[in-house]
Amino acid sequence: MDAFQFLMNGFIICFQPLNLLFAILGCLLGTIIGVLPGVGPAAGTAMLLPMTFGMPATSSIIMLSAIYYGAMYGGTITSVLVNVPGEAASAITCLDGYQMAKKGRGGAALAVAAIGSFIGGTVATMGLVLLALPLTAMALKFGPPEFFSLMFVGLSLATSLASKSMIRGLISTVLGLLFAMVGIDPVMGNPRFVFGQTDLLDGFGIIPIAMGMFGIGELLLIAEGSKTTVINTKLREMWLTWREFKASVFPIIRGTLIGFFMGLIPGVGVLVPTFLSYGVEKRLSKHPEKFGTGMIEGVAAPETANNAYCNAAMIPLFTLGIPGSAVIAIIMGAFMMHGLIPGPFLFKEHPEIVWAVIASFYIGNAVLLIMNLPMIPMWVSMLRIPTPLLYTVILGFCVIGAYSVHESVFDVGLTLGFGILGYLYKKLDFPIAPTILTIILGPMMERAMRSSLDMSRGDFTIFFTRPISVGLLVLAAIFVVSSFFRASAVIKKDTVI
Amino acid sequence: MKRPYQITAVFLFLFSVFVAYESYKLRYYTPLGPGPGFFPFWLSLVLAALSVAMFYQATFKESEPMPDDFFDSKLGYLRALAICGAWVWATAFLKPLGYRFTMMVFFPFLLLTLGRVRWYTIILFTVLGSVGGYWVFTRVLRVVLPLGPFDGLFEPIDDFLESFISIFGK
Repeated sequence: MDAFQFLMNGFIICFQPLNLLFAILGCLLGTIIGVLPGVGPAAGTAMLLPMTFGMPATSSIIMLSAIYYGAMYGGTITSVLVNVPGEAASAITCLDGYQMAKKGRGGAALAVAAIGSFIGGTVATMGLVLLALPLTAMALKFGPPEFFSLMFVGLSLATSLASKSMIRGLISTVLGLLFAMVGIDPVMGNPRFVFGQTDLLDGFGIIPIAMGMFGIGELLLIAEGSKTTVINTKLREMWLTWREFKASVFPIIRGTLIGFFMGLIPGVGVLVPTFLSYGVEKRLSKHPEKFGTGMIEGVAAPETANNAYCNAAMIPLFTLGIPGSAVIAIIMGAFMMHGLIPGPFLFKEHPEIVWAVIASFYIGNAVLLIMNLPMIPMWVSMLRIPTPLLYTVILGFCVIGAYSVHESVFDVGLTLGFGILGYLYKKLDFPIAPTILTIILGPMMERAMRSSLDMSRGDFTIFFTRPISVGLLVLAAIFVVSSFFRASAVIKKDTVI
Repeated sequence: MKRPYQITAVFLFLFSVFVAYESYKLRYYTPLGPGPGFFPFWLSLVLAALSVAMFYQATFKESEPMPDDFFDSKLGYLRALAICGAWVWATAFLKPLGYRFTMMVFFPFLLLTLGRVRWYTIILFTVLGSVGGYWVFTRVLRVVLPLGPFDGLFEPIDDFLESFISIFGK
């Protein structure tokens, strides 16, 4: 069977009423998460994960994926209408989106964001369909040394791109790797850093860490800080003018390409494609000085790149088993909870699940486009919910989420511990994403490295004698060296810390 | 941001020393290659080097100015502390008291400490969050939540909701 036939089968499964319902529900919940400031896609996905425990694996992953890209779109609404980014990826949209809203073009800004998101997401999913089988075939040729080198590339990128400061990015990465060392050693089975605590034998779970560092950490910061002033704007017209339509076409195409290619690289993070596409549009514009005053290109490009990235970021997960971002790491955790290991074997062993999930991306993108525009006034009204009510409910959800993964109160306590750590990270401007990524990648990387050395009887040259491994390590070295030079330039120009 | 980064660097350095010591107790190398202590030992050395670099930069290089809101109001810290306190309560009593009784304290405590909320809203959210939340998660979403010694008191409510749903189901 070719990819198209697999996809058609996926659509048949996805159109089953239950799966369709969960896709729509996921889009709805995701948009709510995106709209609410303080609850980003990572915390939201982790928080809502327990809701999917009782579901079949396919429905569960369909719903979580829908939550993910729903949250990405939800963040745009508040960025445009109230100048408060619901999640980090939408921060750049505030610049021109809010200015457009002030000029009475908020509806057009949201419409172009929805259309761009739909196009970006759909094209990226087409890329996933086309690349899935060739990449999977290639990945099946990978041995432990190649996997180690591939993960090393992911780590080098996560470190260099996720932070303003290289030192803070590296520290975040190393801390994540150290947290990943806790539990049973993946090769010899010895307990490490458990200090007699049996709850730690399985290591730190990704859910308490993600929920704690992203969710609780952010809530602590909000509770501690002063309140954000929310400025309401009126939504007049949803349709684009001909001039706005013409101005958006090429930014949407460029945003799609940037988002798609950035999504293929593990560890890049969603901020890079959005800021990059904004920068590209500004550079290509005949009126760069007008950016920040309500240019539709400044909304169309980053919003398209954002959604294209989210869908393309699933490609490394599905084909290589490597999560490209914190949210994808949580979705990977959901796969594992259902006894599925993302990677090349998933296509072989469970094609019905993978292709149904891929088909659901098309449906989810269409649902978001159809559903979100008429519902914008409702999403905005959610911002009027008093913060004590909102955050109490969120915290209640987090307690259930933390407990129900392993039915363990130890995990509930652990979530608070990581929440305080997340608060400190945010306070000191350390990037959280590298820690989350390395917690997932760490054990895989260690296993790949030690299996490689087992193959070579302890000879480290095994990584440099296999062509794919060497190629990947050279790539990683280029990323590290280039980011080092970039950091040096920053030191000379300004400051690093 | 000089002082916060200096303190962080010192803390990270001490942490790296602790990790190095603990890794040293594990097997560093085996006849088949690196042992369980290999990876964490090298990571602790990298962390130590990074913390020294961080301390050096914080001390001898020009540093970012501290944001105005770095040390927020006392009230803000109390609110953050209230969240931690509620969470500690949930951790300590979720098993012995069960979900519903634990949350009957958790919700009103947070609602009272995080801002001004009307008394009937507090009652409504407490009932919905504890009794309603338990029912939705355990019966509808099939998530297991802990039961406590006094949960028998909720039996009439459970029976009522069960019969309501069964009528609705028919």
